[in-house]
Amino acid sequence: MHARQSLVPATVLLVALAVLTAVVAAPAAGRIKLATLPVRERVEIQLENSKATLVEEERIVTLLKGTNHIDFSWTNTQIDKRTILFRPLVQDNSVRVIHQSYPPGENALVWEVFAEKAGPVRVRISYLLGRLQRTFSYRATAEHDESTLTLRNYMRVANFSGEEYGNAKVWAGFGDQFQREMGLNESKELLVGKFVQVPIEKKFLFNWRTGQHVPDEPNQRYVTMHYVLTNDEKHKLGTFPLQHGKARIFQKDGRGGEAFLGEDWGKFTPIDDEMKLYLGLARDVKVERTVERNKRQTVHANRFHQEVIVKYAVQNFKSKACILDIEEDLNRLRDEFCGKKNHDAQWELGPETSDAKQVERKGARNLEIHIPLPARPEKADEKPKEIVFRIHLWFRNEW
Amino acid sequence: MTRAILLATAVLAVAQTAAHARDIDLVTLPPRDAVQLTIYNSEDLTLVKEVRSITFKKGLNRLQFSWAGTLIDPTSVYFRPIEHDDQIEVLDTTFPGDRPQVLFWNIQSAFEGQAKVEVSYFTSGISWQADYVMITDPDEAQATFDGYVTVVNNSGEDYPDAQVRLVVGVVNLVEKIQQLAQRGLGRVKPEHEVHQALRESLDVADEEADALFALHAGKGASQSGRRAPKVIKEGLSEYFIFTVEGTQTITNGWSRRMVSFRAAQVPFDIVYRYRPHQYGPNPVRFFMLANDEEHKMGASPLPDGVIRVFRQRQGGGLNYFTTQSTKYIPIKEKVELNVGADDQIVYERTVFDVARDEFVYEGKPLRVVGWDETRQWQEEVRNYRAKPIVLEIRHVLQGDCEFTAQEPAAKATLYNFRTPEYTVTVPARTKLKVESKGTFHLGKNAKQNRVRLTK
Repeated sequence: MHARQSLVPATVLLVALAVLTAVVAAPAAGRIKLATLPVRERVEIQLENSKATLVEEERIVTLLKGTNHIDFSWTNTQIDKRTILFRPLVQDNSVRVIHQSYPPGENALVWEVFAEKAGPVRVRISYLLGRLQRTFSYRATAEHDESTLTLRNYMRVANFSGEEYGNAKVWAGFGDQFQREMGLNESKELLVGKFVQVPIEKKFLFNWRTGQHVPDEPNQRYVTMHYVLTNDEKHKLGTFPLQHGKARIFQKDGRGGEAFLGEDWGKFTPIDDEMKLYLGLARDVKVERTVERNKRQTVHANRFHQEVIVKYAVQNFKSKACILDIEEDLNRLRDEFCGKKNHDAQWELGPETSDAKQVERKGARNLEIHIPLPARPEKADEKPKEIVFRIHLWFRNEW
Repeated sequence: MTRAILLATAVLAVAQTAAHARDIDLVTLPPRDAVQLTIYNSEDLTLVKEVRSITFKKGLNRLQFSWAGTLIDPTSVYFRPIEHDDQIEVLDTTFPGDRPQVLFWNIQSAFEGQAKVEVSYFTSGISWQADYVMITDPDEAQATFDGYVTVVNNSGEDYPDAQVRLVVGVVNLVEKIQQLAQRGLGRVKPEHEVHQALRESLDVADEEADALFALHAGKGASQSGRRAPKVIKEGLSEYFIFTVEGTQTITNGWSRRMVSFRAAQVPFDIVYRYRPHQYGPNPVRFFMLANDEEHKMGASPLPDGVIRVFRQRQGGGLNYFTTQSTKYIPIKEKVELNVGADDQIVYERTVFDVARDEFVYEGKPLRVVGWDETRQWQEEVRNYRAKPIVLEIRHVLQGDCEFTAQEPAAKATLYNFRTPEYTVTVPARTKLKVESKGTFHLGKNAKQNRVRLTK
């Protein structure tokens, strides 16, 4: 039976100091305890590992000279018993853990600790705790002109571990540490980072394969709008990697308020990498894609080359100029005209490409075309210019 | 103050630990100074902003925000000081597990006194849709073109005297607001759920607006007096915001339809299209106009919605043409309204003749493995209308083919590598014949997969 001091904040976690008069373990005597419960001096909750929460408690235990047994037990708390560590914080080796035992059928363990002299010793007990997790989220507010934004990075800590921690130091592994009470079944949201004047790179993407269909227009797909944030110093970030989390983007409306632009999952972004956020459709940029030429050239036996010209007719109905990025998957384009294959396409640009300098090879399978688009004309009787870009491709050595 | 959403200020003595002081509250209920609703039509999402004046003490302040019977996404609730923002700081937000639909802000204030704050959140259950009514004159040369927006409130909450803004745009949401509101924060989300959250494809709202027509005044008059409120339109990023002038009362369970714009004497053209692969076996009629000044529009994009097309009859009354879903139309973009097939135009296409040659043989015994097949088509268009019509024709031809068209279709071009297209004008009350020919290379004679135009 464990006595409890009323000041002990933990309702379910007990650290009892069992004092034995004899050094030699006497199994027949069982666990005879005179328990005093040392108070938690300090608690740290480390959340840097996305899959595990590490709790470190510091307590001061009073040891007798010789062998001491320290009993650690818990109920209704998600402690992984294999991960419990006991470390006396002494400079020399004057206090040593001899071994630890696990009583059968209990959420408990017992350390046998040898102390060269009697007295109080500060010890640190650490363990991995389940159902105390953190997630991250972002809230960004873009300026009215969309040149920069203020990015707030939040951490939400949800404590369903079965244990409450008063005045714990909570740390995400980066940013500030927080001193907070973590109550039972409670979630708490904390601001871990705020970055101002972060430059926005706004991108407009057209992808024939993944784009959303335009109603009644089988040769069109909608263009998507993205914000790209680069996690480096030059872009006012770069302090720490950005964790995976939902990012919500707002924009100042120029009248003192804000409007919501969209949200996306921000992937884990190391320093110097980009976080690309898909916010919504840019329906004022119209793209119609047709295949103008599809011609086969037999080389030998069943080996052939295939010539394809894809035409993009683009119109920008926005009041601002922009650059449209068109993505093409060359393997899938090849499959469309040569039949499905199990090998990567061998491709090259042909001379009838509108402007080869605007075509960027992203890899063996992908290319991107960058097309600058002027703003729609201001004069009422002028229509936005239709910009036609052709990409001329040769798929070599297919069969 | 609304029935369901409460914002309470608990003023605590400085330096007490929050754990012991949690339930010791001195509660004041600040009145709501203003409410703004920003309603999205592409998703079930409304951004609500409330402005209130709150009295702060120097030091730690605790603010409680709670709601009941309303779908609010707790992850979206956001507190922002509008005044003294450099002296008021949110330390953290706590979501107690034992009390759903409640959260607390711990706020550190270096300022003592009253300050305006803004509380915003996402809610579900309010939506809006656009619809249009086009009425042509009897000659089908000009039309009136009116646009409407209808706001529907099924959120469980009343919003009296709210500024209403409607967003024209398709935003990306990775989780539905209604699901977040119902889920709350009462559980730990497994990591795999977070990583498997997929970007959902967004459906443009194309629902019929019939059930939503309501010309109820709603409780509380618009502050703009007896005339209908104007709808002011301005762009924001890739979207447009329609702001309804003044304030509106949007009562739970009600809907309100407002005029977005009116355009009179809008000129339009009529074109017929025959594309069996796209529109079916008969030519369909299109009313062609544009969202620009020439057509008495062009102030803003036209949101996707539903259009009803009528024609005025000579001597009064209307003929009904069609009800269609319309897609989003940018400023200066053309508007093409498919009003369906026309009984007064009859189209027939027959294969008039077939011939085969260029045979290739292989095997023992010899078998035909390759050949050419030439088909001659005859198209007949009968126009029983009192005006000439323009008919655009496209045919998709599969395989390796040479195509020739005779007058009046001799100027045929290729829409894409397998689709020739040509346009004919059929005079009033006349029958027109168009002849064309295609030579298909079949079997081993097929070397390509495209159409080539020949003379």
